[in-house]
Amino acid sequence: MLSKFNQKLTNLVIFLALLGLSISNLYPLFYMFMNSIKSRTDYYVNPFSVWNLKLTWDNYLTMISQFKIFNLFKNSFLISFFSIILLLCFGIVASYAFAKLNFKGKNIIYLLVISTMFIPVQATIIPLYVFFSRIHLVNTFWSVVFIYVGMFIPEVILLMTSGFRGIPDELIEAAKLDGAGYFDVLRYVIVPMGRPAIILCIIFYFIVTWNDLFTPMILLQSMDKRTVMVALAALLSRYSGDPTFQFAGLVLASIPAILVYAFFQHYIIKGISLGATK
Amino acid sequence: MRGYKGINIRRIKISQGILSILPVIIILIIIRFYPIMMAIYRSFTNWNGLFRSDWIGLENYVDIFTNSPFWILLRNSLVLLTTVPLQLMIGIFVAVILYEEVKGWRFFRTIIYLPQIIAAVTIGYLFRVAFSLDGPVNLVMRGMGLDFIAIEWLGNTATALGVLVFCLTWFSIGWQAIVILGGMSKISPDVFEAAKMDGANYWQRTFYVVIPIISRTIEYAVIMSMVWTLTSIFAFIYTITAGGPGYETSTIDYMIYTKFYQAGAPYGFASALAVILLIIILSITVVELRITNKASEWE
Repeated sequence: MLSKFNQKLTNLVIFLALLGLSISNLYPLFYMFMNSIKSRTDYYVNPFSVWNLKLTWDNYLTMISQFKIFNLFKNSFLISFFSIILLLCFGIVASYAFAKLNFKGKNIIYLLVISTMFIPVQATIIPLYVFFSRIHLVNTFWSVVFIYVGMFIPEVILLMTSGFRGIPDELIEAAKLDGAGYFDVLRYVIVPMGRPAIILCIIFYFIVTWNDLFTPMILLQSMDKRTVMVALAALLSRYSGDPTFQFAGLVLASIPAILVYAFFQHYIIKGISLGATK
Repeated sequence: MRGYKGINIRRIKISQGILSILPVIIILIIIRFYPIMMAIYRSFTNWNGLFRSDWIGLENYVDIFTNSPFWILLRNSLVLLTTVPLQLMIGIFVAVILYEEVKGWRFFRTIIYLPQIIAAVTIGYLFRVAFSLDGPVNLVMRGMGLDFIAIEWLGNTATALGVLVFCLTWFSIGWQAIVILGGMSKISPDVFEAAKMDGANYWQRTFYVVIPIISRTIEYAVIMSMVWTLTSIFAFIYTITAGGPGYETSTIDYMIYTKFYQAGAPYGFASALAVILLIIILSITVVELRITNKASEWE
């Protein structure tokens, strides 16, 4: 009897703990959104208020018409897009080799490639900045894209190689017997069969590159090339007197990543746990 | 004829493997290997990014150890590393709950990972607003009559570091929980049920069943989050405290950033900082692997 009561109590405590944690994750987003549609006066009277407010979309309109946030979106999107394309091109080919082909020194090279994951980008950024400025790539999207490819390719290879290992050799052999060349194997066997790992990489690195601040902040200094995060970081330190306006920008900037997560969270959660068991 | 063809096919296979990884190797050499070698070499010079690059031996390093806020930076990194055991404990706690599929566990799993999706810039700004002098936290404190707690959180070294610790822990719980949950999929449900049947309570199940089985996952989580704490929290520091007051809440990577913009371009000095950061990270990884290998020998 007592133990049953204990059990129930434990369950209740656990449920409440989870609920508390979830609220602590959701409330800040709600707070940010709520305050972004308040007038500045209402915000300073009481930032927690939710009732009897004069709501306004002015902050969003200013964000779009004057801050030109959609231009910044375009910059961020292009950088994410090209980074992902290159990561996929190089990643799929290399992972196929690491997972399914035999060649001399494969394991050593694999380990070396993966271990570059631990080189912090801050340790390389100054020589890279000087190098890129010599070949006139500073203030172009390519400089950021190349750094992202170098930074994230080991993780991509780690994820994809473990995904591709699960593809049965027989399928590849059968395709080869049917006369499939190297690229046919990739196109008709590896890519369709390795889709979960590939989709995971697309989603995951979209979110990571979209949210990154450090690399674009160093390399993209001209106003028309900045990413949305760089522009917001500058906005946050400049207009410190106008929090509701800043909240509006942060809400807008969060939407793409949240949408992607909402639709593909299954892949992400699976992928994170996949990486861990390896 | 046939034998000749066979050799040829094998040769194509070998070159296929090498050719497939060649682009990656070239990128890694240009984007990762070359800059690291450059940073190591330049750390012994007074490089300014242009033409000045005279060999000055260990001067940069001596400067860092005797005449710079380096020890403050190191202290800050150590303080921030305390978030790793915190995250891990809460993460394991949450993962075990989710594993037992409490009511609504799918919903909780989705929400718990949510902070990882939000940009560090956004989270950092929310924390800065929350802990500002007239921010929500202090409003609540004053509302509860706890005026003496309503201090300038980000103006003091200790409390500012405390806010950073709180922020990083909160941010990482979801990642830890999902990683641990992934490791727990290796546990056969029978073992777990058997432990339950034998009357093992929540804590016993966690310590005697879960933790021993997922020790490899824990090792992975610890290494990754330690490296992450040392290298990837730039945006949090930038938005919450901007490294201040002074260098009181900066870390090594943050100082590399400030040196980048400093007049006179002390890039040689910054390179020496980069080398030190790299050495710290490599030694953490090596030591960590050693320890866990020892630990698994004892088992």
